[in-house]
Amino acid sequence: MEIPRVFQTIEESGFSTWVRDSPFWAIISIHAIGMAALVGASTVIALRLLGFAPDLPLAPLERLYRFIWSGFWIQVVTGILLLIGYPTKSLTNWDFYLKLTLIALGMIVMHLLRKRVFSDPSMSEADMMIKGRALAMWSLLFWLAVVTSGRMLAYTYTNITYPS
Amino acid sequence: MNLAHLHLLLNHWPIIGTFVGVALLLVSVLARSNDIKHVSYGLFALLAVGTIPVYFSGNAAAEATKNLNFSMVLVETHEGAALLAFISLLLTGLFALVELWRFTRNGQEPPLTSLSRGLSAVLILSILTAVLMVVAGTTGGDIHHAEILAAGETSPAIATIGAGLLQSIRYFVIDYSRWVWPVLEDLHFIGLILIMGTVGLLNVRVLGFLKKLPVRPVHRLLPWGIAGLVINVITGVLFFIGMPGFYVFNAIFQAKILTILFAAGNLLLFYCTGVFRKWDQVGPGEDAPIFAKLVAASSLLLWLAVIVLGRYIPVGEQ
Repeated sequence: MEIPRVFQTIEESGFSTWVRDSPFWAIISIHAIGMAALVGASTVIALRLLGFAPDLPLAPLERLYRFIWSGFWIQVVTGILLLIGYPTKSLTNWDFYLKLTLIALGMIVMHLLRKRVFSDPSMSEADMMIKGRALAMWSLLFWLAVVTSGRMLAYTYTNITYPS
Repeated sequence: MNLAHLHLLLNHWPIIGTFVGVALLLVSVLARSNDIKHVSYGLFALLAVGTIPVYFSGNAAAEATKNLNFSMVLVETHEGAALLAFISLLLTGLFALVELWRFTRNGQEPPLTSLSRGLSAVLILSILTAVLMVVAGTTGGDIHHAEILAAGETSPAIATIGAGLLQSIRYFVIDYSRWVWPVLEDLHFIGLILIMGTVGLLNVRVLGFLKKLPVRPVHRLLPWGIAGLVINVITGVLFFIGMPGFYVFNAIFQAKILTILFAAGNLLLFYCTGVFRKWDQVGPGEDAPIFAKLVAASSLLLWLAVIVLGRYIPVGEQ
């Protein structure tokens, strides 16, 4: 399949060259920290809903959504920067589209969890756990898949830049 | 001073430390003192992390001997023995850390009337470590002091087993399949998430975010963080054994290991001093004492630095 020319245009732009040069490692570091915030906070909520650390009060954990959303936006910004640096590398790899789909699924599950489990302050912890159980398992599964598909991007690409 | 010097400087510590730790543990059983027992546990946990640079810098020392007429057989024998001693000390440290966590979770322990399961595990592992350390130490000493070797003496069987294990691990990590390395990388990131999710949450709470949470129950999540730490030590050591030449002289990798030592030291400061027992009592909506906040802030910064340095390792190669 022909690789769209526009990838080459992006790669030759000054901004893309700049991203590949100096700040690349800084961006990828922040991308790792954003992952820790987003997936770490989601994992804590999921583990608690699945019955671990049972004496940890559930309702105040809603505050972790701050870390989930700030982590998410950090990932969007750094992710776009990395994409501008290496458009061919990502966009010609099916694993990249798989990762984006899985992120969407992960965020949808976290949103549903908030709406169904954390929105009603009168709900007992036992009810919250019953209502959140399946979603918590899906969230762990999706985040595991997101991290795995993301990590595999470094090993599954065919062209790192536009082939000359 | 270079890395080979560092190896010679540090390599006696795990050996002597293990003996001191075993002695303290035996005294604690005889004297029925939980305090002495916890000092011993803390020592083993610290030794376990502290042995990582000892093991890693050994590759630099081996590199330095290559141009001299030392026997490579002796070097390989020592490498094998050292690997087994290293693994055994890591296990001892892990069990000691788990026992410390169990203590801080309950806040109290039954009097030492009999050997508990956890204590027996640490005791047996630490004695095994001491034996393996002796083999690692003597085979290491033989490299530079061939005059002590008796004529016709062969390498200890344990060291030969260790050298074989080292070869198998290197084959598995590098040659077995091109997917072993990516899977290890994936696990290393999952370990990172477990550490940051649990240790990070505890730090963030002590610093005053999520104030509605009482501090004590957050502690119940820490085994997941310890699991993350175990995953990352194992996968990290596998990366190193796979490509020692890539890592050992890499300044950013060295900085990462040093930062991990500080972060682990911070964790032990929090376990083995009264700090935890103070912030333990911090209930919903309450502020943690200032010293606890300092420990939490430095812990958070150190772990973030570990992530950043880890991501920068390829830059250290250039």
